[in-house]
Amino acid sequence: MPATTATRPSDELSRDQRLELFYFARLTRDIEERLALLYRQNKVVGGLYRSLGQEGESVASAYALAENDAVAALIRNLGSVIVQGIRPRAIFAQYMAKGTSPTHGRDLNLHFSHIPNGDDGPIVIGPISTLGDLVPVMAGVGLGARMRRRRLVAMTYIGDGGTSTGAFHEGMNFAAVQKLPLVVIAEDNKYAYSTPVSQQMAIPRIDQRAEAYGIPHEMVDGNDMLAVYDASKRAVDLARQGAGPSLIGVDTMRMRGHAEHDDMRYVSKPLLDAWEARDPITRYRAHLIETEVATETDLVEIEAMSRQYAEDEAGLAEADPGPDPATVADGVVAGGHFQPSVEIVRSPFRVKRGASRHTQPTVVHP
Amino acid sequence: MPTDVVMPQMGESIAEGTIVRWLRKVGDEVNRDEPLFEISTDKVDAEIPSPAAGVLTQVKVKEGETVPINSVVAVIGVRDTAAAEEPAPNPLPPSANVASAARVASPQPVKNPPTGPAAVRSGGSAEGGRVRSSPLVRRLAREHGIEVSQVTGSGLAGRVTKKDILAYIEHGPITALPTPVTATTKSPKPAPTFDADHATVAVPMTVMRQKIAEHMVASRRTSAHVHSIFEVDFSRVQRLRQAHNTLYEQSGAKLTLMPFIAKVVIDALRAMPIVNASVDGDQIIYKRDINLGIAVALDGGLVVPVIKNADEKNLLGLSRAIADLASRARAKQLGPAEVQEGTFTITNPGGLGAVFGLPIINQPQVAILGVGSLEKRPVVVNDAIAIRPIAYLTLGFDHRLIDGVVADQFVGHIKRGLEQFEAPIE
Amino acid sequence: MAKTTYLEAIRQGLAEEMASDDRVYAIGEDIGLYGGAFKVTEGLLNRFGAERVIDTPVSETAIIGAAIGSAYLGMRPVAELQFIDFVACCFNILTNFAAKSRYRWGAGVPLVVRGPCGGGVSGGPFHSANPEAHFLHTPGLKIVEPSTAYDAKGLIKAAIRDDDPVLFLEHKLLYRRVQDEVPEEDYVVPLGQAVVRRPGDDVTIVTFGAMTHTALDAANQLAERDVAIEVIDLRTLSPLDYETILQSVAKTNKVIVLHEAQRTGGIGAEIAAAIAERGFEHLDAPPVRLASLDTPVPYSPALEAAFRPSVEQIVAAVEHLVEY
Ligand SMILES: Cc1ncc(C[n+]2csc(CCOP(=O)(O)OP(=O)(O)O)c2C)c(N)n1
Ligand SMILES: [Mg+2]
Repeated sequence: MPATTATRPSDELSRDQRLELFYFARLTRDIEERLALLYRQNKVVGGLYRSLGQEGESVASAYALAENDAVAALIRNLGSVIVQGIRPRAIFAQYMAKGTSPTHGRDLNLHFSHIPNGDDGPIVIGPISTLGDLVPVMAGVGLGARMRRRRLVAMTYIGDGGTSTGAFHEGMNFAAVQKLPLVVIAEDNKYAYSTPVSQQMAIPRIDQRAEAYGIPHEMVDGNDMLAVYDASKRAVDLARQGAGPSLIGVDTMRMRGHAEHDDMRYVSKPLLDAWEARDPITRYRAHLIETEVATETDLVEIEAMSRQYAEDEAGLAEADPGPDPATVADGVVAGGHFQPSVEIVRSPFRVKRGASRHTQPTVVHP
Repeated sequence: MPTDVVMPQMGESIAEGTIVRWLRKVGDEVNRDEPLFEISTDKVDAEIPSPAAGVLTQVKVKEGETVPINSVVAVIGVRDTAAAEEPAPNPLPPSANVASAARVASPQPVKNPPTGPAAVRSGGSAEGGRVRSSPLVRRLAREHGIEVSQVTGSGLAGRVTKKDILAYIEHGPITALPTPVTATTKSPKPAPTFDADHATVAVPMTVMRQKIAEHMVASRRTSAHVHSIFEVDFSRVQRLRQAHNTLYEQSGAKLTLMPFIAKVVIDALRAMPIVNASVDGDQIIYKRDINLGIAVALDGGLVVPVIKNADEKNLLGLSRAIADLASRARAKQLGPAEVQEGTFTITNPGGLGAVFGLPIINQPQVAILGVGSLEKRPVVVNDAIAIRPIAYLTLGFDHRLIDGVVADQFVGHIKRGLEQFEAPIE
Repeated sequence: MAKTTYLEAIRQGLAEEMASDDRVYAIGEDIGLYGGAFKVTEGLLNRFGAERVIDTPVSETAIIGAAIGSAYLGMRPVAELQFIDFVACCFNILTNFAAKSRYRWGAGVPLVVRGPCGGGVSGGPFHSANPEAHFLHTPGLKIVEPSTAYDAKGLIKAAIRDDDPVLFLEHKLLYRRVQDEVPEEDYVVPLGQAVVRRPGDDVTIVTFGAMTHTALDAANQLAERDVAIEVIDLRTLSPLDYETILQSVAKTNKVIVLHEAQRTGGIGAEIAAAIAERGFEHLDAPPVRLASLDTPVPYSPALEAAFRPSVEQIVAAVEHLVEY
């Protein structure tokens, strides 16, 4: 679905915002890189599912949200919660099952929520492992917002595999008939575990799933951060205006195995090489220099800052104590003492993203 | 501080991994996160980064060998002091992922909600005059024409158990209280037999029993007994034991807790001679030699063999001496000289689970150390709850000679010695 | 005889059945080329081809639905759920469609639904389920959970040959940690038969799956204190082998029912109730249930250890029963 206006939403991004986008993508990768080391040192408990090669789309899509919007990440969308301000230390603590983690060690990786009272900060909804379920749940967040007269937009992600679940279908369809403020980023990253997309759907493009629901959809180059931002921003604006849900298909590639314990021998080397050359962060970095938004020195400085921050935060979390087994039975129902929280932080760029600066509808309802 | 390098668990069902290649050799300096070795598991092959910076001091698993996950495969030592290779003070064993290990490693502070019997049981031994029994007991009673109320109950709250009714069926009524049988001890010696007309029976004491009786009462009468109890963290000792046990076994010894305790007690006695003394009228008799008595329980009594000049022995020597004396004590092969001239005694009431004891001084000594059972307990370390092997040490001392402050300094010395154990192990 | 892992035994059993009966086929997510998330079906694609080892989209209802349909046409599908937790996605089609089919129409559904269950591996709230109680309440569905490699092979073969739907629970902790001598000749372990893993006179522990090994560990410890535990491994959870359970209770008169799923409404409640009803006069103490806490399965190793039944808890419960 091509844009009908010539201007792109990203044209309006300030220099600081452009650099902040770079920083968030970099930080996402640095956090995961750190996690990969911790995993191999047996400090990450359970599994590690990386978003290598997909950091750009998670970051750029969430960047289209306003600060107090709602986002629901799957395990490969670390970037989206980093954009919304979840403190890296909390992520590390989750992965290492620390008592200080947002679930106090009860659940893993990005499986946590942050639901502030009123309009006070970002809403983050954690996934469950069962694929597809976040779509109806985030449709419900949109529904609730509408009923509470809040103009927030709900954004969530679904993998190519996840779009084959019944829950996905039911959630999309419900959001469509209810015209709910929902933006779904459908990631065609070529595999669901070992299963190629061709075994997952018989349509050529993942965004065509939306045809059945009669909602706007488009396919973008998922490794072009500004393209992802543009499409997401248009969809977010539409949703905020009450025009209903959209689906954005992102064309990208999972550059690691399903999890670190998967050596993905089922993925061909040429395919990986081709995508390696299209790495979203490398591309965006080159773009910043080409367009003279930043110098090499600026970017090296941001990279160093990001790496150091990831390392420091990992160190803090590593030193945190484990959960207290005496608390294991607490808080199954209301009335307990289990009251976890997550710290929200601002990036060093301290860019405030307004509710809706770009309000012209730029995607046409089919 | 040296750091253990473990075989990581790469995948939920993975139980073991094979070292394919060491990328570094012993003596190499390594940086944190720098690739150290390559592994291969059922699921994946991977390069494993070093968890710490330092010097690779030890490689425990050879290339091609397969070990369970969480096994220590190498040790990274501190630069410079790398030679003084010590085990890493991990607060928890690194094996928390393995179910069985996790069970051992973690205490169970939260028990499941009360399980059946405890929850079902209520009140006293007989509800409204009804004798406590069980469906089985009532059926057996019915089948044998017995009134359950005639049977003496040995169960909880006087309940008539299957054993009671079967004994009743076999032997008829018995008048003595049967000894309760618990799961935690072997059944005690058979109870004496009673004849039908007498409720009691007299059996002469063994000589050993008489001696013990005399000594204990005399000691109580002689010394002004006071007891002081300290909590001691045995993490370090346990780690040292684990790390060195194989070595000890090779030389035919066994590295139990006792030699460690003995060693620090000896040091403390040397530092505070007043505890290695006795009272004679209005004289204090200081003793040059440290002759350490270790109480050994025997069937029907106890004996205190003595390690003479214990301060001349190193840990291995103490370890051998203790094992030797204890086994000969149990075999009743001790010579008379081997139970005399003790200057201080250690006793071990924790062996059967006592948290601590209040031991009576072995005259003419002036103090005795009781070692409670070693158990994992939650303790507060740096404001976090940690699980540590803890035992309570009790010093029974004679206030005629030793004041509370002195006694506490003495036990404090022992506590520090154990928690920061430093003596050479080999 | 060579030692074979629990996982390998299941693969062998499945492959043997596929080789000897071409109605048998495998279906599931990532089971072909990849060999399954835990590699249970590794090599089957090469051996039997893509027509009989079918990779599906992430669509649990489609997997079970397709399996049911093909079973009506005479096939004997073996469906893999990547983690048994996701059986929740196909609860409806499994309990309402598959399990009621014979009763409603006389059309049996010879379907095996297999997948990794159980915790102890820090899988967290969605990769550690023991869902047997949800299905125990479904007439028409059988439930099996082996604890040894020998049984795993014998039971998967029996399940495949069975004419009704069978939920086959594979404890993931045991996949590579348990090994047995497994015969090469054809054999089955019949469904519906428990086995006494260790005889003893003092207390019976009724259990299954990974907890069998925990119970045996406890029994070993208790043996040192002269307490003799009889350990019964149920193997089939539906239908239950009450005869073996009641025989043992008649001998020991004291019983613990041990399972890894949460306590309330668990299979232990059913077994304890049956013992009270049918073995009342043999009881010298109330039946005891030992199970996990009534919480979701926590992720951190320390929390999960506090959640699952442990050797120490078993020993404590036995001590209490002995004194009772
Ligand atoms: C309902 C359900 N079935 C199976 C799984 C197991 N599983 C976890 S991730 C995954 C593949 C997901 O692929 P995709 O949706 O494309 O997301 P990606 O991993 O590529 O980001 C599968 C099958 C699950 N989590 N939920
Ligand atoms: Mg995918």
